[in-house]
Amino acid sequence: MELAIKLIIFLVLVVTGYFAGSAAEKKHYRSIREREKALLNLPAVTLKTPPYANEEIAESGLVCGSAVISTDYFKFFLASLRKFFGGRLRTYESLLDRARREALLRMKAAAGDADIIVNVRLETAPIGGKENAKGGVMSVEVLAYGTALKLKHR
Amino acid sequence: MKFTPRELAENVNVSPGSPLKELFKLAAALLALLGAVYLILGLAVDWIAPRLSTGFEEKLATAFSSRLRTKAGHEASAQAVQGYLDELQEHCGRLPYRLKAHVDSSRDANALALPGGHIVVTRGLLETVGSENELVFILAHEMGHFAHRDHLRAAGRALVMLMISGLLFGADSGINEVLGQALNITELSFSRRHETSADEFGLKVLVCHYGHAAGAADFFRRIPADRDPVRFGHYFSTHPENERRIAHIQRIVQEQRVEAGPLVPLPDAIRELPTGR
Repeated sequence: MELAIKLIIFLVLVVTGYFAGSAAEKKHYRSIREREKALLNLPAVTLKTPPYANEEIAESGLVCGSAVISTDYFKFFLASLRKFFGGRLRTYESLLDRARREALLRMKAAAGDADIIVNVRLETAPIGGKENAKGGVMSVEVLAYGTALKLKHR
Repeated sequence: MKFTPRELAENVNVSPGSPLKELFKLAAALLALLGAVYLILGLAVDWIAPRLSTGFEEKLATAFSSRLRTKAGHEASAQAVQGYLDELQEHCGRLPYRLKAHVDSSRDANALALPGGHIVVTRGLLETVGSENELVFILAHEMGHFAHRDHLRAAGRALVMLMISGLLFGADSGINEVLGQALNITELSFSRRHETSADEFGLKVLVCHYGHAAGAADFFRRIPADRDPVRFGHYFSTHPENERRIAHIQRIVQEQRVEAGPLVPLPDAIRELPTGR
């Protein structure tokens, strides 16, 4: 009896995770693609030194954007099977990809009307501490930061 | 340096493929693998079990046998049961074990054969049996399990599966728990064949001891009459085919033309159990 209840709970989690999770992911990706198109003209580069002389730069400032994304139970279950056999964890790949792009977009949005963001860096941190380590559902936080430069009129 | 804004054509960071297909593929592979391991283990355990010496088994059993201390108040009945075991071993069922009797205070009627030659009888059982013959048959039945090394086969396979899953998924993961319960169920139904051969052994010892087979099937008949699942829960679920076993015993009795005889009442030591708790 106990086994049946556990099994039912498990199935409910997996099925909910699959449908809700893929719906959320599709929606998020759509939003990401729209905003990326809108912010296409603001370059965010990893160059350490800006390719401009000091006199050309009007303003500069730190900009950062962060995103915390959690996965769903379906992805977690699929990942645990994967961990048994080895290979690419496709489910977590999309999770991190979304978090990275979202963080970069938020950083760009924070830059306002800057002309370029240089020295862009990304940091990834797991959220949830003990739960994460023991194999609970995974959340990840990605922080994107850089230096936004506003140039004197060109 | 010139900046050319360009949209991402495709996402190189996410591997293509449908997660559902991947799930089914992996789950099927895992089930197939576990099934194969289980089968091979079954064969290996069946091969090893008869070859394990009883001395080695007793040494393995010391891991948990310390927990089998008979509780205070049950020593008299435990001694009486031990007396029966010693007598049966002496004259009728010589086994390469040193059988030890333990009395458990559970109210479920149950008797267990555990590795190392330990026979555990519950207080519920001692209160339920109607005659000495009935009790002797139950003890002889458990001795039959030892004679065929049944307890090793069932426990061995389940134990190795749990160990493997513990290594792979972590000792306290959800998968491990689920596997543990699934194994319980399969091992229970698997032992039907063992129960029947233990019945036959028990019958042989009973007839040897008393000269007749009265009382052999009494316990199985008692179960349907008193349908309280709490009392007979465990025994009932481990032996679901009581009707078949009664018929089997009766058939053997008829074939061997064993006579009927009087039932011997239980001695006081067994009857006088402490009340409460």
